[in-house]
Amino acid sequence: MDDISIILQILFWGLYAGCIYILLATGLNLIFGVMKVVNFAHGEFLMVGAYITFTVFLFTGLNPYVILLLSMLALVGIGAIVERLCFRPILGTGKLNEIFLSIGLIYIFQNGAAMIWGDAWQSVKSPYDGITVPVGPLSVPLDYIIIIVVTALILCGLYLFLKKTTIGMQMRATSQNRKGAMLVGINVERIDVISFGLGCALAAAAGTLWVVSGQVFNPYMGAIPAVKAFAIIILGGLGSIPGAIIGGLLMGLAENGAAFLLGGIWKDAISFIVLIVVLVIRPTGLFGGKEG
Amino acid sequence: MLSAISPSLRYLTALALIAAAALPFLTDNMFIINLAVLMLIAIIFSSAWNLLACSGQGSLGHAAFFGIGAYASTLVAVALGITPFITIFIGAGVAAVIGILIGLTCVRLKEWFLAMVTFGFAIIVQTLVVSVLAPMTGGWDGIPSPRLISPAIPGYQLIEYYAILAITIAIIIAIWYIMRSKAGLAFLAIRENETEARAAGINPVRYRLLAFALSAFIAGIAGALQIHHIGYITPELFGVDNSFWPITFVILGGLGTIAGPVIGTVVLTVIWEGLKETGMTFARYVIIGIILILTIIFLPKGLVSLPERVREWKEKRERKRSVIEEFSSDIE
Repeated sequence: MDDISIILQILFWGLYAGCIYILLATGLNLIFGVMKVVNFAHGEFLMVGAYITFTVFLFTGLNPYVILLLSMLALVGIGAIVERLCFRPILGTGKLNEIFLSIGLIYIFQNGAAMIWGDAWQSVKSPYDGITVPVGPLSVPLDYIIIIVVTALILCGLYLFLKKTTIGMQMRATSQNRKGAMLVGINVERIDVISFGLGCALAAAAGTLWVVSGQVFNPYMGAIPAVKAFAIIILGGLGSIPGAIIGGLLMGLAENGAAFLLGGIWKDAISFIVLIVVLVIRPTGLFGGKEG
Repeated sequence: MLSAISPSLRYLTALALIAAAALPFLTDNMFIINLAVLMLIAIIFSSAWNLLACSGQGSLGHAAFFGIGAYASTLVAVALGITPFITIFIGAGVAAVIGILIGLTCVRLKEWFLAMVTFGFAIIVQTLVVSVLAPMTGGWDGIPSPRLISPAIPGYQLIEYYAILAITIAIIIAIWYIMRSKAGLAFLAIRENETEARAAGINPVRYRLLAFALSAFIAGIAGALQIHHIGYITPELFGVDNSFWPITFVILGGLGTIAGPVIGTVVLTVIWEGLKETGMTFARYVIIGIILILTIIFLPKGLVSLPERVREWKEKRERKRSVIEEFSSDIE
C-alpha cells in the first residue's frame, strides 16, 4: 500500500469510528441542551442498546439493522424511567450531585448487565460480513458504508424532528429559555423526559452500530466511549449539535491517526491529551460560549 | 459544620478510637486485621478526596494521585533502599507536585470539565506507566514493593496495623486543623459562591491549587501505604473503580465533613464484606449503586446528618399533631 491509501484508510476508519461518537455526543448534547444535565453514565445506554440488539439477534435472527429501531425504542423507555426516578429529584441541587448520581447509575447498569448477560466479551457477525466495496484505491467493508449512511439518516431525522414537529420546537424553546417555555405553556417536565429518552435512543443506535461493525463488547464497554463523547462536546461546545458532529469526526480521525503513529495503546489517552491541551488554552472549550 | 461538634459525635469518636485500638485484642483473625488496615487506608483516601470536594472540585480521577504516590514511593524505596516510612512522604510529595500541575489546568474549569480532565488524567497516567515508563514500572505485570514492616519481624501485622492507625489519626487531625484554618474557610467560601468569595478578598485560584496539592499529597500517602502493605504494585491502581470508591464512601458518609469519610468507609466496607458472604458478585455493585443514588436523593448530607434528619422529622410530626389537637379543641 502506498502512502496515499494509508492516509485514506486512516481517514475512512476515523469517519467510521466518528459515527459512533457523533451519535453518543449528539444524544448527550440534546439532554444537556434541554435539561442542563450532564449524564456521565450515557455510555451505559450504548452498552444496553448493544446487548438488546445482541439478544434479539440471537433469538430471532433478524437483520441487525432492523433491530436498531427496536433497540432505540426500548432505550426511550429505559431513559424515561431513569430520568423520572433519578435525575428529576435532584434537578437544580448542584452540578456535583449529577456527576455523583451518574456514578451510581454506572454501577447499577454495568453490573446489572453483567448479571443478565455475563461479563465475557461477545460479538455478532453481520449478515454482510466479508463483503467489500471498492472506494477509490481502498476496498471498504460494506458494513462500514451502511453504518455511515445510517448515522447520516438518523441525524437528518433528528434535524427534521427538531425543526418541523411541535415537540421538537418545544424542545428547542425549552433549551433556549426554560422559564420562558413554561410561561408559554410548555410542559417542560414532559419535554425533559422526551429529550432524555431521545438522547438514550441515540446512544442505543450507537451501541447497535458498534455491535454490527463486528467489534467486541462486554458490560463495561460503555465508559470509555461515553467519556470521549463528553470530551467531544466540551471541544465542540456544550449544547451545540453541529459542534458535536464536527467534534466527533475530529475525535475519530485523531484517535485512528494516533493509533497508527504511536501504537494502539495510545488510542484512549490521546483524546484526553487533546482535551486537556484545548482546555488549557480555552477553559470554556473550542466553540464554548459563556454557558460552559 | 466543623465548629459545632455535637456531644454525640464526640462520644462516637471516642468509641471509634477505643474500638480501633482494641481491635487486635478482640480478634486474632488476620483476615479482619488485614481488612481493618485496608479500611484505614480507604479512610485516608476518602478524606483526601473530600478535602478537594470541600473547595467545590469533584475529581473523578483521584486514583491517579493514589497510584503516583504508590509508584513514586516504591521506586524510590527500591532504588535507594530506604525504609518505606520515609519514601511514603516522598511519594506523596511527587503526587502533590503533579497535583499542582494538573490543578493549574483545573482551577479555572467548571464542575463537568474538571471531572472530565481528572478522569482523563488517570487514564493518561496509566497509559504512560504501561508504555513509556514500562522499563521502570514493569508495565502491566507490575513490580514487587518493599513491605512497610518486614515480615521477618514477629507480629509484623500488628505493628503495621498500629502504624497505619497512627498515620490515619494524624492525617484526620491535620485535615481538621486545615478546615478550621483560614484556608479551610476559604475552601468552603469558594464552594458556596465563588464570586462572593472573590469579593471578600479570597483568591480562588490560589486556594483551589492549595486544595489540589493537599488532596494529592494525602491521596499519595494512602496509595503508598496500600502498596507497601500488599507488597506488590500493578497499574490496576489507576483503574476507574479506584477513583469511584472514595466518592461513594464520602457521599454516603457526608460530603464536606470530617466524620463523613470515616463513617461512610466503615459502613460501606461492612456492607460490602457482608454481601460477599452471601456469595454475590455483580449484585454487590448494583446494591452499592442503589445505595449511592438513594443517599443522593433522600439524604444529601449523608449518614452524618441522619440524627438531625430524624429529629427534624419528629419535630414535624409533633407540630402536625399539636395543630390537629388545636383544631379539634376549637371544634369542641
